[in-house]
Amino acid sequence: MVFFRNANLQNAFMNLFCNLSFDSPYLLDVIHTMNESQLDGLDFGVIGFDKDCIVHLYNKYESLASGLSRPKVRNQPFFLVVAPCMNNYLVAQKFEDAYNLEVDLDEIIDFVLTFRMRPTKVRLRMLAKKGAALRHVLIERSSK
Amino acid sequence: MPNIDSEEYEVLLQFLYMAPIGLAQIRASGEISMLNPLCAQLLMPLSKDGSLDNLFVALENIAPDLQHRVNAFPNVSGNICDAMHLHINSSLSGKIEMRVLSLNLLKLTEDRLMAVISDVTQSVKRESELRQSQAWIHTLITGVDDYAWVKLSAGGICLEWNPSIERLTGLTNVATQGAVYSIFFPHSSFNAMGAKDRLNEADRVGWSLDEGWCLRADGSRYWGSCLIAPMHEAGCPAESEHAYCLIIRDISERRELNDSLRRSLHTDHLTNIFNRRALFEAATTELQRWRHSSHSLSVVMIDADHFKQVNDRYGHAAGDAVLRHLATALVAAFSSHHTVARLGGEEFVALLPGINQNDATEITRRICQNIELQSVRVGGHVIRYTISAGVSAMENSVGSFDELLQRADAAMYIAKSNGRNQVAIWEPSVSMTLENESPSRHSQLSFPRHGN
Repeated sequence: MVFFRNANLQNAFMNLFCNLSFDSPYLLDVIHTMNESQLDGLDFGVIGFDKDCIVHLYNKYESLASGLSRPKVRNQPFFLVVAPCMNNYLVAQKFEDAYNLEVDLDEIIDFVLTFRMRPTKVRLRMLAKKGAALRHVLIERSSK
Repeated sequence: MPNIDSEEYEVLLQFLYMAPIGLAQIRASGEISMLNPLCAQLLMPLSKDGSLDNLFVALENIAPDLQHRVNAFPNVSGNICDAMHLHINSSLSGKIEMRVLSLNLLKLTEDRLMAVISDVTQSVKRESELRQSQAWIHTLITGVDDYAWVKLSAGGICLEWNPSIERLTGLTNVATQGAVYSIFFPHSSFNAMGAKDRLNEADRVGWSLDEGWCLRADGSRYWGSCLIAPMHEAGCPAESEHAYCLIIRDISERRELNDSLRRSLHTDHLTNIFNRRALFEAATTELQRWRHSSHSLSVVMIDADHFKQVNDRYGHAAGDAVLRHLATALVAAFSSHHTVARLGGEEFVALLPGINQNDATEITRRICQNIELQSVRVGGHVIRYTISAGVSAMENSVGSFDELLQRADAAMYIAKSNGRNQVAIWEPSVSMTLENESPSRHSQLSFPRHGN
């Protein structure tokens, strides 16, 4: 993996040469530099939200899986409206702790989500880069 | 017929995603076919393996009789459980705390049920406070023939009373004069130490209200409601000036009406002893009492050894017979004012106010020995079994009943590791041993959990 000082160059490089996977160790460093159209190219769900937990990014994969279009989700409080089931110590608390302690968060857990009310086993990856404007939850269906 | 367009479908989806109440559609086997996010949020902390495939499995240690209730439900459709309270040790906030979930289970068709789950912790607490206030007001406004009124000294000595005391209790003036007010109650459920605790409780919260067996002069019993309220100013420093008002009402009639409801809410369906709910309710009261008194409070966790093998070898009916046998033995061994409950599976708990750790251990050792000598006859088999138990005693460093229970559980684990059929006492080294042996075990001690 090559790192560029310039975010645009970094994105261009990644689009050209990298097939970012759910487990990619580089995601913590690059995901907060990616825009929605770049996130749309990924084969797992990505939700980006700010320090007040307001959703700003909702990629195509996640939108199709949940059945909710972007306008319904964007600018909504993540843990209240979009994913109440993550409003617990396993997910929400970890983001809050990382923010308060000013440390990076990169952790994967097994979880059950309710896509269209169907219980679905997933892996969740929680990413928060210290100082970055957006934090991210990545969602991969376990059956894949 | 109008079609639901995608916009409308999305609005419906989001409505369910955001609903602030847990909804799940399940099959008769408990298999979850649909659930909304709040339901997942409430159930996830109960999941043993990180999945939510079956509602009855997720709740089996909290409400072990759900499958039984569904199977036994005679109608084609209808309410199987209505606002059933489930007491869980949840960690939604990261800190383990006791919460109460309310479960409604509605049968729609033969193989389709709807479960509605909500967190009612706060409203249960408010209801309990309200019930106390109502009982207090009711006592004050009920007709004069209905109650006995006694003025008590700081030490609980009867000083004055109204004439109806003789009609209610059969006790004459001579018998009442100078006696501690525990004469109104059977010895097994009340002693002088408990009498002082009630007065302390009344000082602390403004009243002490309890229901239980009361005693007449001829030795017969009636079910009474007993209210103690301080007559002195709150915070009065001179204890010699303290005085209390004791009101006893005979509520046998009302109790009979409520009896079947009370039983169904507080009784374990298999063993007929107290269930988890009754245990946690009793523990809440006893912990409050302990904090303001000097008496001991111990907890014993009891688990049938190799119970799975009994089930595998002789079948579930035999396993059930063993659990019933154990429940009967435990109830017989402890006193009537102790709470013996089935926590779930083959785990039982005895909550022992007034009993210190050494005495609790001694009683439990005797039970252990007795069980080993007995046998259960079922379906042509003679089954012998043993138990392991852990004992812990309340102390200032213990923050909650859950923690006290975890200590007893940790001690029981030591009893198991040391060869079973024995009793172990919790001490700080117990938790350290567990941490060293299996770092993950310690974090698993939070219930629900299976012993063996």
